Amino acid sequence: MVRLHNVMTAALLFVALPLLTEHAMPRLVRPHGYLNLDVGIALAVAALSLNLLLGYAGQISLGHAGLLAIGAFASGIVTSRWHGPMALGLVLAMVVSGGLAFLVGLPALRLRGLYLAIVTVVFGLVMQYSVLRSTVFSGGSAGVALPRRVWGGRVFTDNTVYLVVSLLLLLAVWVVDDNVVRSRVGRAFRVIRENEAVAQSFGIAVTRYKLLAFVVSGAMAGLAGAMYGHAIGFVNNESPFNFNLSLQLVIIVIIGGLGRRAAVVVAALVFWVLPSFISGLHAWAYIAGALGLMVTVSRHPDGIADLLRRERPPSFDDDAVEDDSLPALPDLPVPDRPGALTTPAGQPLLEVHEVSVSFGGLRAVDAVSLTVPAGRITGLIGPNGAGKSTLFNAISGLVTTTRGHVRYRGEQIQDLRADQRARLGIARSFQQVGLAKDLSVRENFLLAQHQVAGYGDLAAIAMTPTVARVERELAERADQAIESLGLVHLSGLPVRNLSGGQQRIVEIACLLVTAPELVMLDEPSAGMAPAAAESLAGRLRELRDTLGRTVLIIEHNVPLMLDVCDYLYVLDAGQLIAEGPPEAIAANERVIDAYFGTALPA
Amino acid sequence: MTGIGTAAPVVLLRAEGIRAGFGSQPVLHGVDLDVPDGEVTGIFGLNGAGKSVFLKVLAGVVPTWRGRVELCGDDITGLSPEQRVARGMAHVPQGRQVFPSLSVEQNLRIGAYTLRRRNRAAYAGNLERVFATFPRLAERRSQPAGTLSGGEQAMLAVGRALINDPRVVLIDEPSAGLSPALVEDLLDTLLEVRATGLAMLLVEQNIRFGLRLADHACLLQKGRVVYSGATATLDQDRLASYLGVGRLLSLDLRRGLTERRPEAL
Amino acid sequence: MQPIVLGVIAGSIYALVAAGVALVYKATRVLNFAQAEVGTLSLYATWWISTRHHQPWVVGAAASIVVATLIGLLFERFIIRSMLTASRVTVSVATIGLFSLMVAVELALFAGTVYLVPPPLARGGVTIAGVYVNASQWLALGVVLAVAAALAAFLRFTDFGLAVQASADDPVAAQLMGAPRARISAFTWGMAGALSAVAVLLIEPTVGVLAPGAFAGLFIGGLTAALVGGLDSLPGAFVGGLVVGVAEAEVKAHVTIHAIPSFQTAAMLIIVLAVLLLRPRGILGQHA
Repeated sequence: MVRLHNVMTAALLFVALPLLTEHAMPRLVRPHGYLNLDVGIALAVAALSLNLLLGYAGQISLGHAGLLAIGAFASGIVTSRWHGPMALGLVLAMVVSGGLAFLVGLPALRLRGLYLAIVTVVFGLVMQYSVLRSTVFSGGSAGVALPRRVWGGRVFTDNTVYLVVSLLLLLAVWVVDDNVVRSRVGRAFRVIRENEAVAQSFGIAVTRYKLLAFVVSGAMAGLAGAMYGHAIGFVNNESPFNFNLSLQLVIIVIIGGLGRRAAVVVAALVFWVLPSFISGLHAWAYIAGALGLMVTVSRHPDGIADLLRRERPPSFDDDAVEDDSLPALPDLPVPDRPGALTTPAGQPLLEVHEVSVSFGGLRAVDAVSLTVPAGRITGLIGPNGAGKSTLFNAISGLVTTTRGHVRYRGEQIQDLRADQRARLGIARSFQQVGLAKDLSVRENFLLAQHQVAGYGDLAAIAMTPTVARVERELAERADQAIESLGLVHLSGLPVRNLSGGQQRIVEIACLLVTAPELVMLDEPSAGMAPAAAESLAGRLRELRDTLGRTVLIIEHNVPLMLDVCDYLYVLDAGQLIAEGPPEAIAANERVIDAYFGTALPA
Repeated sequence: MTGIGTAAPVVLLRAEGIRAGFGSQPVLHGVDLDVPDGEVTGIFGLNGAGKSVFLKVLAGVVPTWRGRVELCGDDITGLSPEQRVARGMAHVPQGRQVFPSLSVEQNLRIGAYTLRRRNRAAYAGNLERVFATFPRLAERRSQPAGTLSGGEQAMLAVGRALINDPRVVLIDEPSAGLSPALVEDLLDTLLEVRATGLAMLLVEQNIRFGLRLADHACLLQKGRVVYSGATATLDQDRLASYLGVGRLLSLDLRRGLTERRPEAL
Repeated sequence: MQPIVLGVIAGSIYALVAAGVALVYKATRVLNFAQAEVGTLSLYATWWISTRHHQPWVVGAAASIVVATLIGLLFERFIIRSMLTASRVTVSVATIGLFSLMVAVELALFAGTVYLVPPPLARGGVTIAGVYVNASQWLALGVVLAVAAALAAFLRFTDFGLAVQASADDPVAAQLMGAPRARISAFTWGMAGALSAVAVLLIEPTVGVLAPGAFAGLFIGGLTAALVGGLDSLPGAFVGGLVVGVAEAEVKAHVTIHAIPSFQTAAMLIIVLAVLLLRPRGILGQHA
């Protein structure tokens, strides 16, 4: 269930070390020092919870203190009013907070960025001012007690024991976090953070994963709140589950480096534990934190722990640094796609019928019909602003059609989401390269196999043996692909460090890894140096002839299209103005007019 | 206005060895260009060739990695866009970019921002002149610019550039998004401006439109200048191959170019 | 009747905060989380001058406005200007940093003691229809109206004001017309600071004390007013302020739920949620 070397490392860090120094600690730590450590550890767990939501999944939460609060009160009610054991209290805290986080997450589906932030602020403030102050919950200033009940009447008060308990809980949370990161769940989170459209193109149901992030983060936060409560012994309406705490957690996560687990824990301990050993330092720690946040955000939007990532410096002698021609596409042993049908070559695989797309008053695509036969390369060309990308987005599901329908393998798909269409076998590339550019090449190949990773998300969090086995298979396939591309030396680098041509070939290889039936390419030659762009024609023919894919491609490089495509459609100002084999298109007057300006009278 | 027998035109705007790009991605690999006074210079090329980036570099919106820009002999490479405007550069940006919530008159007034700072009294006269050139704008002077039609917005964008008494006007794809009739109107307008002797630098995708207007043509391909010379002596075959559309273009250009301004032939 | 009158006055002060939010949002599409807190920290300058050193209130008030404007300018110069290419969420997080810094400084320097600031006008008041409105509250109303008028006139009739408006529509195009981008940015944030100080000065007599967290209600009210009126609309800020002020007063007067003390705060937050989910662009806003 848990990787052995992980347990060893974590055990060493979090359990053995403090226990070994226990003899030294009483000399260093004043009697109430254990309390500070307990509180610090609880808040480190809280920081980890926010790190999962904000650092991995990119969902901003400015009201996390509210989730801590509800966890604390829930555990308190279990242990003091119902006289249940602390273990039960912790579990209930996680359940209640997870559920509440789910509710907070629901608006996240409709609101982006800033507006989501406001909703979380509102949530935190409502908890702080109304819910927690209500006598129903908190019993006013008397508050709710949180005894460390083992069972029945047995309560332990020894702070040393509680310290060990806290550390074990921190370890457990750390392990869960690790499982998340190393599974498809974590990869899904991280690509969602970077670019939701790209996430969908990998077949990731963005909504579901966002909510999952909220729930898991919420559960961890609830646990943290309960840990805090049991450390102090009671919580009431004066407890520090307020807006300031929410912001301090954000500070910790951002300064620690969004997504860097260890840095976040260290930052949390430094922020909360260190100042308690020097009186009066708390306020100054907060000042330092606030300044740190502003500086970090302005200089390093991804946290100071991310200094490793450098922009590739502009190469002035770029005549020397040209892309080599693109390597051949890997022919991978791909998993059987359940329910995958093969349409005979030449038969229509994709049918677009009278599709229109309007934005406000602007009709970007006007009643366009086209057919993509299986096993052929179909091209879509036209001048700038003709609506080609919009049509693409309508077919792949990123944009809704105002009218008309789209049929794939005979079934209508225009009401399906983009990720659902991806799972049906429609793969698409993006002009700006549809990869998670902050992730490594290898991680992208793992990410690309998301929809064929045969395990559930909850299993991933627990890291069951099945999960571990499937992950190994995914890794093997990824390494094979990277090797056949000749990019082994780049395997661990973030994608954004690769050249344009390398990024593009990685993207196409990632698309192929799930054996899609239809491959849609959006201006694949964009960002490539001339040498690489020239070999693109060869790679496209490979796609069709060797790998048997159906290709629909948008390009500005007209000679390339005339060279490679079996059939062409020409769009201008949203309308289809010509279609036919390349020779016919090249001589078509309307096409010439479209590209070179409308005929003007002499 | 150039005529036979005049001296070589003064170079108003000069770019030397421009290398620039986005982030770490280079787009321009050493571009040189001279924009002579009193004439129209056109920059052509396919999408992605770097035409708009080059214009943004001249405007000061995109910084240069290497190279320099000179206006009327002064080095302006390090200056901000507003400083360049104060020295006589004017812009008709891509997509017109009129300020939708401001009225027509307010749009013109903001176009004259640096004029009003150096010579406030001249504004009233310039405003009347713009309204005389574009009567439709005068009719709509208090209307929010966002409610104007595409053609009217194009006129406003040109008027806004002219009102500041510039030395050179940089125009970014003016015909984009306009219907053929409006493109014709726009061409007439710009020919009128050209007749006043104002230097213009034009970036265009619509090659026919651009060649009707430009005295000089500069072809960009993948961030490099592959041709530069007078449009009258443009080698049509070379143009076809440089634009990279071979078969498609050669047919067209042989027809198109012979329709050009009769006075140049 | 009483709630409405008091609501209008409180609402007008919320409107001032909302106007600061709208000014920044219109120009940068960024939500300034520190719009109320900068003024709160600056109010300690008023305490220092007017209470500690017994100078007239006006001098103390001026000091507060100066301090707040300076904070805004420094923030713009050192933080905002190095974030020109950052996303608006990232920049909003920077304003959260500013908010935290203000609170952190208050806690470090001034926690533990309650500070008092003299009211602008100590005596006087008028009773209208059974509602007693004291002199400070009249002053608040007057100042807000004056500020609104001045701001509107400045934006409308001066060239720089026009440049600010144009820059709000399209900052790059405004630069291409010659508008001074750096100066406009400095104006935006400096003005936001000044508005923050004025709002806090005006609401202080109602709040009564100066302590960290005492002006949370101003923050919540101002944020709600900005959202209701439309984040990018200056007139909307004033409409939103009125709506929120009156709503809050009415709820406080007529609705009491024993289990939930200060229900009017919860009510305001419910309004925020409703606006976000039903009409994110607010009453007069133009973009969502």
